[in-house]
Amino acid sequence: MSGIVCAVRGGPDSQPTIQKSIALAEETGQTIYFLYVVNLDFLSHTSTSRIKVVAQEMHQMGEFILLSAQAQATDKGVHAACVVRQGNVSAEIIELCRSLKADYVILGRPRGEDETADVFTHDRLNQFARHIEQESGAKVVFAREPM
Amino acid sequence: MKARHTGIPRAGKGREQRRPSRTLFLFIAVLLSAAGALFWQGERGQAQEPDQHASIIGLIYDGQNQPVKDAHVIWRLSPEGETLLDTTTQADGIFSLTLPETIAIEEKPAGGTAAVLPLDNVLGDTMTLYIERAHFQTKTVPISGENVKVLKDGGTLLLPNIVLERRISPAFWIATAIFIIVLILIATGALHNTLAALLGVSLLYLVSYLGSPIFEGLFIFDFPTSLSYIDWNVIFLIMGMMIVIAVVERTGIFQWMAFFAYRISGGRIFILLPVLMLITGVASAFLDNVTTMLLMTPISIQIALAMGINPLALLIPEVMASNIVGISTLIGTPTNIMIGSYAGLSFNDFLANLTPGVLLAFTGLVIYTQIIYRKDLAAAHQPSGVLMAQLAERGKITEPENLKKAGWIGLGMLLLFMFGEHVHLLPAVTAIMGATALMVWIRPNIDEMIEAVDWTTLVFFMSLFIVVGAVQEVGMISLIAETIGKLVGDNLALAMLTVIWVSAILSTVIANIPFTAAMLPVVGYLTATIPGAQSNALFYCLSVGSAMGGNGSLIGASANMVTAGISERAGYKVSYMYFLKKGFPALLITVTLASIWLLIRFL
Repeated sequence: MSGIVCAVRGGPDSQPTIQKSIALAEETGQTIYFLYVVNLDFLSHTSTSRIKVVAQEMHQMGEFILLSAQAQATDKGVHAACVVRQGNVSAEIIELCRSLKADYVILGRPRGEDETADVFTHDRLNQFARHIEQESGAKVVFAREPM
Repeated sequence: MKARHTGIPRAGKGREQRRPSRTLFLFIAVLLSAAGALFWQGERGQAQEPDQHASIIGLIYDGQNQPVKDAHVIWRLSPEGETLLDTTTQADGIFSLTLPETIAIEEKPAGGTAAVLPLDNVLGDTMTLYIERAHFQTKTVPISGENVKVLKDGGTLLLPNIVLERRISPAFWIATAIFIIVLILIATGALHNTLAALLGVSLLYLVSYLGSPIFEGLFIFDFPTSLSYIDWNVIFLIMGMMIVIAVVERTGIFQWMAFFAYRISGGRIFILLPVLMLITGVASAFLDNVTTMLLMTPISIQIALAMGINPLALLIPEVMASNIVGISTLIGTPTNIMIGSYAGLSFNDFLANLTPGVLLAFTGLVIYTQIIYRKDLAAAHQPSGVLMAQLAERGKITEPENLKKAGWIGLGMLLLFMFGEHVHLLPAVTAIMGATALMVWIRPNIDEMIEAVDWTTLVFFMSLFIVVGAVQEVGMISLIAETIGKLVGDNLALAMLTVIWVSAILSTVIANIPFTAAMLPVVGYLTATIPGAQSNALFYCLSVGSAMGGNGSLIGASANMVTAGISERAGYKVSYMYFLKKGFPALLITVTLASIWLLIRFL
């Protein structure tokens, strides 16, 4: 089993990542696995016991976001599947790559000027890419080259 | 029919089945006879021993005309002398000191030995009472010879109202500092809200229990006094509503409503947006804003993506509508629950006095959001078949039977909220009864239901009440109330505008729940002192300011934060500045409109 793993967050910033994965799939003939990771860290400062219900809602939102990406791939004649998982973004990307024995991982790069603890920040991107390559054996391809 | 349905033992038949009833009847008869005999004896006892003891009755207030509870009223022969008699004031500030026929004294004024003396021998020509209370100056109340004579004759003496003056001690500054630290920790997010409030409580106890033995001026309050500041009506009302929401949220009603909004708008975005705002607002008026937005945000994002528009063009107006319309009912926001419980405002009071102003503000918000998001909204197109099918699938009721049952129970609760005040039925009781009825009828997994109760929020509220109670206890709140009172004087309109706008502006930077908790006694003082404010107008101003002020910044309301959190997870970041640019003008518009209504309504 092989394929291209493309982590999608949604929004306009994900478009270059989606387009890059489609282009790579057209070249290699491999299946794209669009991945959305449900992450509920934002609830840590809010008192709510609705974790289960919110996770379910966000799971469905993730499916919907990936559906758009899948539609774009299908329009180009590329086979694409959707995977929604919950947890830590980097851990889930590595886990999916391992389980699929994926050849490529497509990573995007944030446009924003402010950095957060997310894995896709300027400083951590190269380090993260090396980590993924070591852990999963998949080659990391950037949608836009890091600065 | 099975015995367990009838309550009759399975083994019993015919006459044997009637035996327990006869025994029960006899048992009840014996109980009634015994109760009757006890009652009759009690009546006779009272008649035989009329209370002829002399007593002194009085009422103690603080500088803000608020009754002072737990003040010690002490009779001593000299300021530092032995306590001969003492009593404490009740919650309403009233005390009653009963003078017995004889008094045991250990040190006679003339330096004699301990003895039991008749009251007349101990009472001199005059008498002095000492009123002592932590955080107040000790008050001396002299009783004239004429009044002492009344007491010697076994009469009752009614004293003029006694006013205690506040005493600023180190405890005053420490309690205030702890309160400010808690506010900062909450505002900056350095600690979870609940942890910040718990830390505050622990520091208060630490100072009171370990500090006061070293230096008396460090005493803030003891444990029982601190617990008396917790408003259990608020705690139980929130808890009951949490259980109801836990059942309702699983039925898919939010998703259905959002898709329903899409259907009735026919995909026309300029109709869809106000309908979504209205649905979100109405839902927020009956459920808490955070839950409403947690459930409305994902489906709204999907609708926006399907129509090819920026989801923020739907989400920001929705969360603002949630913050505004939520205040039209007692149960719509935690701040309203707190205000209602403190001021004794009913469900109908909020509905009647705030709904017109809320509708006015909502209309202003709809127009404003249509203008600021006109370019985003103009980009809308009809969804593709695949996405439309997915949306339709998401917009289905998942638990129709449970929704029907929840609907009936909800209707019953609504009626009790509206009409229960006629039988003094507290909203908290209605919420608990409704939650229990719902669980008994639906029989959900009880563990899941208990998990659905947000204990961290309840602990936050309890801790917060104690922290605010501390600054109230030491007199900080009184000082603020007095200062504001001097500034606004007797001008109700000025007081109303001050409360609305100060609350609104401060709510953009301070979490509105601790702010409201601290403002309640202040507004209570202003309500008691400003002519015309007895209509509770200032409490409605506090409700409007603290809730609508939440629209002014991203951190102004928890609902804003969760909406931004989910939106960011969909790739649409809501920065602090973005929210400020959209939200602050909305605050100015909606608070102005609501202020106009409140001034018309109460002046």
